[in-house]
Amino acid sequence: MSGKIDPVLVSVLQRRFKSITEEMGLTLLRTTRSPILNEARDFVTGLYDARGRMLEQTEYIPVLAFALEPVCRHIVDFFGDDVHPGDVILHNDVFSHGNQLADVAVFKPIFHEEKLVAWAACKGHQADIGGAVAGGYNPNAREVWQEGLRITPVKIYERGKLRKDVWKLIFSNIRFSIVEEDIRAQMGGCVVGERAVLELFQRYGSETVLSHVEHLFDATEKMMRAEIQAIPDGTYAGESYVFYDGIREGSRCKIQVSITVAGSDITFDYTGTDPQTPGFVNAPCSTTCSALRLTFLMLVHPDIPHNDGMARPIRVHIPEGCYLNPRFPAATTFGNSITGPHSDAIFKALSQAIPERVTAGWNRMLSATTVGRDPRYRRRYVDILFISQKGGSGGTYGADGYDHIGLINCAGGILAQDYEMMELQVPHFLLKHEYLPNSAGAGRWRGGLGTETIMRLDGEDVSGVVFGDGVEEESRAFGLFGGKPGSLNRLKLQFPDGSTHEPRAKDIIPSIPRGTVLIQIAGGGGGYGDPFTRPVELVHEEVLNGLLSLEKARNDYGVAIDPKTLMVDVVQTTELRGRSAK
Amino acid sequence: MRWRLGVDVGGTFTDFLLADEDGNAQIHKTSSTPQDPSIGLMNGLAELADLKGLGLLDFVSQIELIVHGTTVATNAVLTETGATTGLLTTEGFRDALEMRRGIREELYNNKYTAPRPLVPRRLRLPVRERIDYAGQAVVPLHKDSVYEAARAFRKQGVQAVAICFMHAYANSEHEQVAAEILTQEMPGAYLSPSSQLLPQVRFYDRVSTAVLNSYVGPILSSYLASLTEKLAGAQFRGVLLVMQSNGGVTSPGVVAKSPVNTLLSGPAAGPIAGVFYSSAQGYDDCITADMGGTSFDAALVKNRAPLVVTDGQINRRLIALPTLAIHTIGAGGGSIGWVDDGGLLRMGPRSAGASPGPVCYGRGGELPTCTDADLLLGYLNKDYFLGGRMRLDYDRAARAIEEHIARPLGLDVVEAAAGMYRLINVNMASGIREVSVKRGFDPRDFPLVVAGGAGPIHAAMIASELEMPLIIVPRESSIFCAAGMLLSDLKHDFVRTYHSALDEVDADRFRELFDEMAEEGERTLRAEKVPSERVSFQRSCDVRYVGQYHEVNVPVEGHEARQADTASILRRFHAAHDRLYGYSLPDTPAESVNLRLSALGRTQKPRFREQGYCGEDSSGALKGRRMVYLPSAKRFAEVDVYDGERLGHGNRIVGPAIVEQLTTTVFVSPEYNVMCDRLGSYTLYLKAKAAEYETRIKEATNPGRRL
Repeated sequence: MSGKIDPVLVSVLQRRFKSITEEMGLTLLRTTRSPILNEARDFVTGLYDARGRMLEQTEYIPVLAFALEPVCRHIVDFFGDDVHPGDVILHNDVFSHGNQLADVAVFKPIFHEEKLVAWAACKGHQADIGGAVAGGYNPNAREVWQEGLRITPVKIYERGKLRKDVWKLIFSNIRFSIVEEDIRAQMGGCVVGERAVLELFQRYGSETVLSHVEHLFDATEKMMRAEIQAIPDGTYAGESYVFYDGIREGSRCKIQVSITVAGSDITFDYTGTDPQTPGFVNAPCSTTCSALRLTFLMLVHPDIPHNDGMARPIRVHIPEGCYLNPRFPAATTFGNSITGPHSDAIFKALSQAIPERVTAGWNRMLSATTVGRDPRYRRRYVDILFISQKGGSGGTYGADGYDHIGLINCAGGILAQDYEMMELQVPHFLLKHEYLPNSAGAGRWRGGLGTETIMRLDGEDVSGVVFGDGVEEESRAFGLFGGKPGSLNRLKLQFPDGSTHEPRAKDIIPSIPRGTVLIQIAGGGGGYGDPFTRPVELVHEEVLNGLLSLEKARNDYGVAIDPKTLMVDVVQTTELRGRSAK
Repeated sequence: MRWRLGVDVGGTFTDFLLADEDGNAQIHKTSSTPQDPSIGLMNGLAELADLKGLGLLDFVSQIELIVHGTTVATNAVLTETGATTGLLTTEGFRDALEMRRGIREELYNNKYTAPRPLVPRRLRLPVRERIDYAGQAVVPLHKDSVYEAARAFRKQGVQAVAICFMHAYANSEHEQVAAEILTQEMPGAYLSPSSQLLPQVRFYDRVSTAVLNSYVGPILSSYLASLTEKLAGAQFRGVLLVMQSNGGVTSPGVVAKSPVNTLLSGPAAGPIAGVFYSSAQGYDDCITADMGGTSFDAALVKNRAPLVVTDGQINRRLIALPTLAIHTIGAGGGSIGWVDDGGLLRMGPRSAGASPGPVCYGRGGELPTCTDADLLLGYLNKDYFLGGRMRLDYDRAARAIEEHIARPLGLDVVEAAAGMYRLINVNMASGIREVSVKRGFDPRDFPLVVAGGAGPIHAAMIASELEMPLIIVPRESSIFCAAGMLLSDLKHDFVRTYHSALDEVDADRFRELFDEMAEEGERTLRAEKVPSERVSFQRSCDVRYVGQYHEVNVPVEGHEARQADTASILRRFHAAHDRLYGYSLPDTPAESVNLRLSALGRTQKPRFREQGYCGEDSSGALKGRRMVYLPSAKRFAEVDVYDGERLGHGNRIVGPAIVEQLTTTVFVSPEYNVMCDRLGSYTLYLKAKAAEYETRIKEATNPGRRL
């Protein structure tokens, strides 16, 4: 043991781990086949130590990422000594710490001088995972088996040799062959990570790297503790709801969180949260923990490295059997989407303690997936309509919400498809994709803008699944400290025969005739602070840009604008805003 | 006398390199004049004339070539002071520019806001028209909506318009007609139809690039016009060329049509200079590293060709045209050191810049910077900074490091300074990793060519961090890019979409497309008066496995293009895919997506004078000894200090040592020796490989040498 810690080498290792996970991510972006991966970036990459502790991650989709570490630990337990150079392990099972069956992870152990020193992992949202409904979302599921194929830790390569039998078994239970190609791309990503990690070990030697990693964890823990220390001690409660569980009409499922800050420790207690639902509106435990972490990371310094040390001061209690920690064999595919209301509850609770850090509510995701045949290439396709689901985030002290950012699970890491690439890859013809005027919740700092998307679905044998939230009045992105709520989501189909259909927020659309027009509105985020204190010129600017109506400028912001000249009427504005106007 | 002049206009200084026919080169620096950079340029010319003992007109009339790197366009974007720009786009998609596909680069930072669009929404006007993915016009162009938009643009004082319609790369007719109407309706307005600028799929890439082009178009055009006029007034009768982001130069007339290509005009010359100085020793590959006051630019050169990317950015705005892969990080002499909440040392990205500057400048800076650490460690000479023109305050620097770094970390002040020095070297090394390791290249296979005033102080340690065996510090290190400009060729890039399985390409079509691009390139170069024997082409093909959506750019030889020999292209593709992405699929079909061609017009390069061999003895240049910190030994030691001006070809110095030149200090760490090559470049090489490298530096050069 070299003994003495070189603080600079600690920083070097942290930077290098981070850039390795980015290289792995670039590999997936450039080599995968499904547009869910190569256009929308619905994947994550990470490095873990021999015990499965997080070294670093690149989290395009944070809710997936923070579920990798518990799986890595599980794999370490499961295989024990039976891990060898050249092994490649596949996993997706939600009852052994996975977050969603369609999110399939590849793990590759990294050996240095014949000793296991680390793991490289890539997880991506696959085009299909078997089960009752193509594309991985089944709002009718009542048990995990109806949602897809469970892959508990399994070696697809053993000591460098492909296990043909296992490979064949797995992919015989998955609908589309591109999933095989995308798993190969994920293996490539792990090889890229492995090569780079080995260089580090060869360069510095195992002992030095490992002792410095411990120090890195400790330093990170210290940073996190300093952040928590800055939050006033106390217990803060917040609640929020998922509306409609896909089965019981009018149902609402409560999330109750009680957050206790004591010195540099923080505890999240979910006692009081509703029991698990009979349908798929349940979150596997690791998804719930993942949602908690990504939300909390938004409340602390953004520079804190993401490793094992970061999570140490955070304690979590989620009663078993509630819908944030359901009992086997619950259906859970809606789990990632519960992040929206879950974050709402945390922000509401901590708005009492750190009002300048929390945001107002984010638009809740309403998403649609279509599956069908592309007549141009005579092949089947699956597409998640990321482009149309990205609404606005909540305003916060000092900054407006982010426009068209999308679900909080992804924190702005998910990309809307490029229009032209989308039309080339899947048989959709876009008619409109623009900001939705008046969608942002008014505030001193307004919410982010939502969008309106219109597209014609030109595929054959198309069916669709809708899953999400944000259509009930109460599920608008909430406003904070005088800010107004954002607008609602909506999704409507206009069939070629002229009839229309508005699916529920959790629904299957068994048949969508070719030429159907889909109209989707993703709502805006909630506003923060009194809208009457928003600088007049900002309000004026948005009116000139057609993002805010004259009525809303007047009613929500107290800014009067002459409809003819579009100039601000200063006298009226002063009157409207009362004495407090500047 | 006939002169050639390289001019690099930076934010603080305008750098000149003046070369004469005999190979003599003169370095000059003058203050920049950001309001109108041509003033600083003309000031510099007057000063150079003075130095030569000539009148301005007499001097300028003898200049046959000026190659100019300009930050006019860059600054317009960075400070958002470009033209009032409008965007004409397909109805339904007016917000794509501002949406940026909905990405937030800092995931957990809820206070992070999107950059303001260069065209506000009210100037993004819709046109009824639609081309589909196959290039079919499914909605005809409604000309009325173009006329209506033109009226609105005129009314709002729009000076420049970008035109970007859906799938215009597949059918450019609507964009062309719209451009014709705008030309009539808005005389004098600067227009950028996306299909002319970048005929390639991806709407967001095109709209972002076309808008940047129009935004900087009027400013760059008028700047070039004013510069041309000033030069003409000074009797300039030579050729003026402008440096482009792709590493090539071009005439003002051509660049005025694609000014977006000047957004990296300054740093783009760095890799070109790198090729020159490394190839003088026979190397075809190198990595360049330019350390300025606030930023550090790294780039990689392979086979004497700097790496080119098509996803460059400026201030979070995408440039999808070929741009040299120059990676910039916030690390420089002014980078501020600090200790974070977890007790970890950090360097930058905040910089003290030129004002207030490092603490030791005594201009009000209070936070310890990289330069302060360099001073404490003895690398900088407090009495010989800028040749003694500026005194550095050692005590003040020491106090700042003590207070902000040493005490919080529980170190003594020297350990703290050494930590700062080491960490910034690590940061710069990761900048080099970005352009090498990240793209699958091993930095140990490349000589490191170092630029910038402070670069040579850090070079040895950056190189050891990466285990790079050879470092080249040119005499012109401090005005590196100006030198690169004189060494650049004319360059124009072309692309044709060609979608086909690679093992069944239509040989005639394959050849035709390359020929077509070659002809276009030749035409452009002929208009720039390049004789045909100086024209050459570089061809490549974007290849992917069927079903993938991103490509690997694979070089194509001339004979492979002529014979449509795709077997060798395929082999190269599989190898590259494995190197970059950890696997290849030799049994899977691959397809071509784009064919690319760069047309090069070789310029006449100045011949820098080569020195005759003067023997290994360097004692004639020894000017004293001083204490410097040796990082590997973790202690100070007294080392020899040499006067660089007095060192000649073959002179050898055993590290540790310091070599000082007016604007440059080289720290030779104990792991390295240094020897001057025939251009006078200080060449540091690992002692372990001394015999081999010394022979190479002394003997005649053979191209194709590997480290």
